[in-house]
Amino acid sequence: MKLTTHEELSSWLDSLAENLNLIAPRAVDGVPLYRPVQHSQEVLWDFTRPVLSVKEAFFPATERLLTIEKGNRQIRLIESLSEEPQVVFGVRPCDARGVKMLDALFTAAPGDPYYARRRANTTLVGLACREMGPTCFCTSMGGSPDDASNMDVMLYPIEEGYLVQAVTSKGQALLDNYALQSREHSTGQAEQKTAFVYEQAEKYPLPERSAWAAQFEDAYWDQVAERCLSCRICAYVCPTCRCFDVRDEALPEAMSNASPSGNGSSQFERIRCWDSCTGEAYRRIAGGHNPRAEKGQRLRNRFLCKFDYYPRQYALGSAACTGCGRCIDACPVNIDITEVMQHIAEVSQC
Amino acid sequence: MTYTQEIQNKARELLGGGQVEVVIGYEVGPRGRTRPAFVYDPQDVERLVWNQACTHNLTTYLNDHLKPKHPEKKQGANSEARRVAVVVKACDSRAINVLLAENRFERQQLHVIGVACEGILEDAGQAGNERSAHQLVTNDPPQYQARCRHCNERTPLVYDTLIGKPESHLGTGPNPARPDAYQRLQTMTPAERAEFWLSQFDRCIRCYACRQACPMCDCPTCLYERDDSLWVGMGIGLNEKRAFHLGRAFHLAGRCVGCNECERVCPMDIPISLLNRRLAQEVEAAFGHRAGIAPVPAPFVTVLSNPGG
Repeated sequence: MKLTTHEELSSWLDSLAENLNLIAPRAVDGVPLYRPVQHSQEVLWDFTRPVLSVKEAFFPATERLLTIEKGNRQIRLIESLSEEPQVVFGVRPCDARGVKMLDALFTAAPGDPYYARRRANTTLVGLACREMGPTCFCTSMGGSPDDASNMDVMLYPIEEGYLVQAVTSKGQALLDNYALQSREHSTGQAEQKTAFVYEQAEKYPLPERSAWAAQFEDAYWDQVAERCLSCRICAYVCPTCRCFDVRDEALPEAMSNASPSGNGSSQFERIRCWDSCTGEAYRRIAGGHNPRAEKGQRLRNRFLCKFDYYPRQYALGSAACTGCGRCIDACPVNIDITEVMQHIAEVSQC
Repeated sequence: MTYTQEIQNKARELLGGGQVEVVIGYEVGPRGRTRPAFVYDPQDVERLVWNQACTHNLTTYLNDHLKPKHPEKKQGANSEARRVAVVVKACDSRAINVLLAENRFERQQLHVIGVACEGILEDAGQAGNERSAHQLVTNDPPQYQARCRHCNERTPLVYDTLIGKPESHLGTGPNPARPDAYQRLQTMTPAERAEFWLSQFDRCIRCYACRQACPMCDCPTCLYERDDSLWVGMGIGLNEKRAFHLGRAFHLAGRCVGCNECERVCPMDIPISLLNRRLAQEVEAAFGHRAGIAPVPAPFVTVLSNPGG
């Protein structure tokens, strides 16, 4: 494997930022987020993980799908597809695994061109975690803090700098085109990629997929949901939650220009925004009926979707949770996915 | 006897005697984090705790727990009104007064276990060995929450049982190590303030945790979440976020008791309490009204009544 120094890596990042859209962890008013950076000095290095996952880079909180122009006799639809190549640096292995799980939905036929285009235009540069954070549990979910499998380029921090691994040809091209300075590194053992031996983090039991549906009627859901505030934090910080809502809204500039007779042309946009099954209105249907009116029903859906529905429907081969631990950190009332897993594991063994 | 033991004893007595159906208090979860707890059985009262991480304003759960179970039988069924006990700090207790003034429930439906609070720590909600994202960046040691540094009450204004002695309170005062963002904001020009707030709102993801944690935010359909986008669009864009935050602040003027839970729960560290504090100050200056000091409605709350009655 090649070795690069921190200085060499920084100047590579600078040349990436000059030529492409570079997204990297950055402190925004003290909040670590994946955000565009202009210079390697903005990059945040030593912390557990950004508050929001990397899904924003492919599936933004809000995006315009179409502009709709309504004329006298015709309606014109103008698609807005992103074409810009982008590089995301400092991607956590749990986040990259989340992207793979989003791919299952957004790139499966018929495919989502908005997501797929961004995905194709993006190169993921991963950074192995120096340590597991207090709420991290990727190792319980089949991941690991130095998992390179969903990256294009992987970097492993060691004492002398970073070991560089080109995982895909796209990653190799990025290393070649922007000439990351590096040299052969042969002192370490090939297997010992990082100098950081991960302390054996607590492993949580991962229940069988079938165990979840078996607990559909469990009174536990109402108990654990009693303190739930029905906010949307857990879904919005989650690397694999992918629900959205689509709506057509009038563009403000068009509203002010529209002629009162309705004869003039007017403009609308079709937007797509994040949505969450924990919100009260998520499942409400025409006529006002809400099949998930109770908090327990909504929270149950969140967990069953992660561990049963989505993996089954899209043949993920694993639960749709990467163990990043963000929902544990962000939940205002300490609803803890690892506690839920332990409960299901316990009751399904009786 | 510790506060925890006193709360447990009171809960045992209230549940055992059938005086309340549930005690809403605090417990510590397996990860060591303090969180809301709902205790129905006298045998479970040992789950209840008191510590300096009891940050949640539990009055936000009252409306749900005091709503009639069978609304259709509401008429003349006063004897069937639900009764709950709730553990409150001084700031939380003021929320009870606001809710009473707004006729959300009757005073006799509540047994208020008031705690003479000694201040809540800023990293409340985290376990001892965990640091918030913000702290990981700034490396600040844990401090009392801003609301506690400004708190003048310490003893709940509404209670049926008082836990602790009011004179045992710590006077923390402002934190000299950290300049008060509120004061700093007041010295800015309006243009600078606008820029400050827009940069803060920019981080908002419209997760609505601030609204959901708030005891006062209880509209059946939030103005900012209507399916028809009548007032505010669905987009998670700056215009919508500005409208949401400023609108919510106005709706809380004269009603916000300054528990700052909105700010604590915000995953993006938006200092929402600064807006609420500003409006509370305006309302106090103009109307001499402080929310929740007594069960009287805010000066802006319009009461519809029969012209004849």
